[in-house]
Amino acid sequence: MILSLVFFTFSFVFYILTTALYLGYWVFKKKWLGQTATAMAFIALASTSMILISRTGESGHAPFSNLWESMMLFIWATNVAYLFMEYKYKFKVIGMVVMAIESLGMLSASLLPYKFKSVEPLNPALQSKWHWMTDLLSTWGLEKYAIGWLDFHVFTTFIGYAGFAIAFGLSILYLIKERSEEKGSGGALVSAFPPSRVLDEMSYRAIAWGFPFLGVGIVSGAVWANYAWGTYWSWDPKETWSLITWFIYAAYLHARVTRGWRGKRAAYISIAGFLAVIFLYWGVSFVLPGLHAYA
Amino acid sequence: MPDKAKDAKTGREEGWLRTIGSKIWYFFNSLKLTLFVLISLAVLSIFGTVVEQNAPVEQYLTQYGEKWTSWIMYTRLNDMYHAWWFLAFLAALALNIIVCTFERFPPKWKSLLVHIPEKFDPAIIDRFSHRETVSLNAGSDAVRDRLLKVLKKKKYGVSESGTKGDYYFYAWKGRVGRLGSDFTHISLLLILAGAIVGSYAGYKDFFAVNVGGTVSVPQAEFKLRLDKFWIEYYDSGQVKQYKSTLTVLEDGKDVLEKQIWVNEPLDYKGIKFYQSSYGQSWNRIQEAQIAVKHKGKEALGETITVKWGETAKVPGTRYSVKLAGYTGDFAYDEATNQVFSKSAEAVNPAIRVEVFDGDKEIATPWLFVKYPGIFPAIPNADEDLVFTGYVPVMYSGISVNKDPGTNIVWLGTSVMGFGFILAFFVYHRRLWVHVRETGKSTEVKIGGTINKNTLVLEKELKDITESLTSD
Ligand code: HEM
Repeated sequence: MILSLVFFTFSFVFYILTTALYLGYWVFKKKWLGQTATAMAFIALASTSMILISRTGESGHAPFSNLWESMMLFIWATNVAYLFMEYKYKFKVIGMVVMAIESLGMLSASLLPYKFKSVEPLNPALQSKWHWMTDLLSTWGLEKYAIGWLDFHVFTTFIGYAGFAIAFGLSILYLIKERSEEKGSGGALVSAFPPSRVLDEMSYRAIAWGFPFLGVGIVSGAVWANYAWGTYWSWDPKETWSLITWFIYAAYLHARVTRGWRGKRAAYISIAGFLAVIFLYWGVSFVLPGLHAYA
Repeated sequence: MPDKAKDAKTGREEGWLRTIGSKIWYFFNSLKLTLFVLISLAVLSIFGTVVEQNAPVEQYLTQYGEKWTSWIMYTRLNDMYHAWWFLAFLAALALNIIVCTFERFPPKWKSLLVHIPEKFDPAIIDRFSHRETVSLNAGSDAVRDRLLKVLKKKKYGVSESGTKGDYYFYAWKGRVGRLGSDFTHISLLLILAGAIVGSYAGYKDFFAVNVGGTVSVPQAEFKLRLDKFWIEYYDSGQVKQYKSTLTVLEDGKDVLEKQIWVNEPLDYKGIKFYQSSYGQSWNRIQEAQIAVKHKGKEALGETITVKWGETAKVPGTRYSVKLAGYTGDFAYDEATNQVFSKSAEAVNPAIRVEVFDGDKEIATPWLFVKYPGIFPAIPNADEDLVFTGYVPVMYSGISVNKDPGTNIVWLGTSVMGFGFILAFFVYHRRLWVHVRETGKSTEVKIGGTINKNTLVLEKELKDITESLTSD
């Protein structure tokens, strides 16, 4: 458990540095700052990967089984998604928002009480492994490393969350940019943002990734529940909130595709959607009773 | 004449029906309704996560007080996902999807099949918000070949018209992407249908089976026997997994044996059996320890172990004792004179023994592990029997679930996955290209549309014009 916490400390520092570098790039517009920021984001990613890997070694199972571990996965997935987007669209200023979200994530994970951080053996319901994978790996004696519905469910859900987190950051930038465009008086700082039209489109794309992944996450959760609890849907608060969140984003997509809601109104739904994600992820665990052990 | 009157009457009735019908149809053929239903379902569902579902009434009373509780009961907020008004919203969702698909799908399908414009009007290109124009130092035939090569490499379908010096191209890609939303919607209908089938044709049940016990499965021609139950622990002492060995019996014969554990159910003839809990049996134990107590002495005498259903001599006395019954949470019903177990837990374990003097049964007392000696076990004797301990029989809690709708739900989810891929990752692009020779050079004008993700289209147009100019 020491090693993963050491990497955690490193990563925390890296994310704060990355955020600062992206901010510096935005303010001073120096190319080298931007390049260093991206390099730092990669270092933070490597360090976050090490948290997950060392945790797997320490607990003997995929690191998706308590709130702290899932936070690391969320931060990891968001970083991967962000770097992918930066590579594709070549806009670096977005990095400051995403990395600020990452740093906040690290901060909140560090504030979690110890019982949400410690290495726990898997309780009976969390042990699900795919037979085919166990069989396949057992030919090399590696069946210990087989994964199952738990891992698939958590992983896809968190890719979804990552997409929504990025869409949230983009929507905020959009609102700022749109306002300054409307007034026609964008300061030098705001004018460094991509055009509002592009921000709007990118945030739609982020949701177009998040939505199907959350969908697959919900469905794989149902498949797993059908093995573990004997019913694929039991309206447990976590399940219900995932559906609520999914419907909000479905409303976003429909408003956009069928009624031409773009720009401001779309940005507001995207922000509301992410608030629902935060509640789904943290609120439900702490406020509402239910079957889900954690995240 | 009478015929005519009748016609007029039915005509009026039909007209009336038709108006109502078309009003309903019109109501459900609305995309505003879609947004309303989606947001309403989201908001309503929140209530169900705040108010605990299917709790006992007392709990609502303590939590919300009398007035609110009666209100909760009246609105069915305590079981809201099955309340008529929640189901009505789900039905509205389904009807909305069905009507909208009926209205929109056929024309869409047609436009996807017959999609190549009959006449190519180059003026259309100027009307696209995404367009590029480049001038190339080459003849129109060379440009045409190059363009076709580029489009082919990018996997476009191409329809060509015009003549030398003035070529027109219409190119398309990713038409199936348009069907993504339809697959997604149909998948939702399938999932709802599966849920409905499950709730009408399926059932849920629960057995607590003692090791060695047999139960008959409702609505099925087979029985189930629990051969073995055990718990596996981590080194730290936490429960790792609990497992049962079940045997399926048909016509009294063993037909199948399977180990089940949490996450590993038994599926036999469409009925699934899940390991869901375990505990100490409330009506059976393996053996009991009974001690002799002599009147006037504080200390207990010798302890004997009596196996379930067996008889043992009580040493140093004339008596023997048979272990005849057990109850985990002793309760006595005065009306029927019956002893029963209040719960499945070993809250107040008690055994019933039969005491024999020689061959003659002289008493059948209940003995309590927590209250030793409150009733004398043997009337008018110098000795008493004290129940000091026991070895429990474990029961295995097995949930039973028959849900013929599950497969429909899984079919729906697969269709949904397919729909997602089409809807979000396949874009329908349509390009119009005009290649025109102007003296020495050739002008290429290219513009088009995409059903989503306009950034991709912008990049695509740049890509194409770049590869035309670069080599
Ligand atoms: C209440 C009934 C619903 C109706 C009438 C409806 C109708 C529509 C329509 C007309 C479109 C646009 C079709 C197109 O552009 O090809 C659409 C798109 C879509 N719908 Fe629905 N819809 C409903 C519910 C839902 C729900 C509950 C979901 C999933 C949660 C969903 C998922 C989608 C998706 C993924 C798209 C494609 C969006 C995109 O292209 O970005 N729909 N819907």
